Amino acid sequence: MQDFEDFVALRSQALLRTAYLLCGGDKGAAEDILQDVLMSMYGKWRRIRSSPEAYARAGLANAAANRWRRRSRKPEAPLELGAVPTARGHEQQVVDADSVVRALAQLPKKMRAVLVLRFFDDLSEAETARALGCGIGTVKSQTSRGLARMRELMGEQVLTWN
Amino acid sequence: MELKQAMEAATAELDVRPGFVGDVMAGGRRMHTRRLVVVTAVVALLAGVTTGVVLTRTPEEPADPRLTAAATGPLAGDAQFIATVQHLWGEGQRDRPWTRDEPVTEVSSKPNVFWTGQTPTGPAALVAQQVQVRTSEHPATLVGLVADGTVVDREVVLSESRDREAGLYRFGPVGDQYVVLTLGRTVSWSQSPKRGTDNRLTRTWASAPHDEDGVVFTVAPVDERPVFVRGDSVPQPGDFTQHAIVSGDLQPDRPFVPHPGLGWNGNFCATDFPERKRSWQGIKLQTAQQDLQKRAVLDYVVSWEAIPHWSVCAWLPDGRYALMFEAYGELYGALYQPDGTFSAPVVGGRATKGDPAVLPLPDGQGTIVADVGATVGPQERAHAWLAPAGTREVTVRQKGVPRVIQLP
Repeated sequence: MQDFEDFVALRSQALLRTAYLLCGGDKGAAEDILQDVLMSMYGKWRRIRSSPEAYARAGLANAAANRWRRRSRKPEAPLELGAVPTARGHEQQVVDADSVVRALAQLPKKMRAVLVLRFFDDLSEAETARALGCGIGTVKSQTSRGLARMRELMGEQVLTWN
Repeated sequence: MELKQAMEAATAELDVRPGFVGDVMAGGRRMHTRRLVVVTAVVALLAGVTTGVVLTRTPEEPADPRLTAAATGPLAGDAQFIATVQHLWGEGQRDRPWTRDEPVTEVSSKPNVFWTGQTPTGPAALVAQQVQVRTSEHPATLVGLVADGTVVDREVVLSESRDREAGLYRFGPVGDQYVVLTLGRTVSWSQSPKRGTDNRLTRTWASAPHDEDGVVFTVAPVDERPVFVRGDSVPQPGDFTQHAIVSGDLQPDRPFVPHPGLGWNGNFCATDFPERKRSWQGIKLQTAQQDLQKRAVLDYVVSWEAIPHWSVCAWLPDGRYALMFEAYGELYGALYQPDGTFSAPVVGGRATKGDPAVLPLPDGQGTIVADVGATVGPQERAHAWLAPAGTREVTVRQKGVPRVIQLP
């Protein structure tokens, strides 16, 4: 299992970042779901070792969705959900960084997952659809609506999309 | 800002907690074993087999020899002292609840004193005790130091990851006494780093080879920045890349302790991002620290107060990228080429609380002036500004009050 341990050691930080965004900025929850997903991969390593990254990202997206489903009656506000600053002002990286997490936290879970997998993890529409277990059409529509919603929430801070 | 760039900036400083990999491996093994046990039991039940079932288990790790080793050291034969240590050890477990890093579910054996020693402030002893933990199917070892009439510190050592044991205890009235376990390797220690005229640091190392006691005791004032490493050889004077042993009191043991130094927190930029670099994710503060350590410009980071959590970045006129930060009360800079390769270190002057941080850059690239919460320079840029080469003075406005700073 040395290669599994190497995978965990090498990729945990990157996967934690994805989990953090999927959890709307809740670092504790992100670490918890990442640990759960990686632990569940231990016994399946032989089967999934050819594409562990994809398996992990799909697992994180599902774990984050289930987590929100369980807690749906009590919406969370991991970061202060005050007014999102819209002034670009002095190019404050910190303001931009915090506000994108705040804005993501306000999106529905699937919409958030689509944006994170598409724009943070650079997955294609087909890969995103596979990871989330939905159709490509759903990914396209969620992407379009998600970007529009992010523009509403972040104002001028969101300038372009790659 | 592009969405990807904003997401990367929001997660740039994130990293998993220490011990995360070990926790995943231990948890994965435990979960896998549990599944095998359940599957085996179900198969046995279906087959009507009630006896002779051999459950698959991961191999047992050998027991930690410290759990049964005879005590060594000058007080090893002092039965009253041994009993006192065991009593204090038990009291410590009652009085001090387990922390998140101590996933103990059951204390399953009598504590064993395996080392005793005399220190300037009285006798000390190392104790080992077998415990069950929720992160492993195997028993773990709880190791700790009793000194000054109390349990100084303790550490849970998982049987799967004994090589990750810190084995370093700091104690004494002013925290200048150290007990370090050699753990079968050579322990080296050093204090009072010296900076040469070329700005490079050197350290003189003392060492203790693995002996039959397996324990090093030394006294080193905290303000002399003692550093301990465990390895197969003694570090070279200019080597600042070894893995330093860090004691459990790396962080303050109480909340809301203000950080020393300038007291700033956050990542700021003294210039706008160039258009062509909008999706560039920047250089992490930790990377810049390591790059300076590789060049013997920055000392070992072994304490919470060594590196405050702020940085100021800047895109320079010649296309390079600079990151400025504070360490041990001094200002540092690291310069990078546009492709992210390291270019040059910068050693600035003292960082004085209440004063703006000023870092002159080499090659006529200007001077970074930063004062978090203030506006800086003629454009009244928030927090930081890259003053062009030749600028003699800069106005900094903290809460609207102007202050003119002379640049070197």
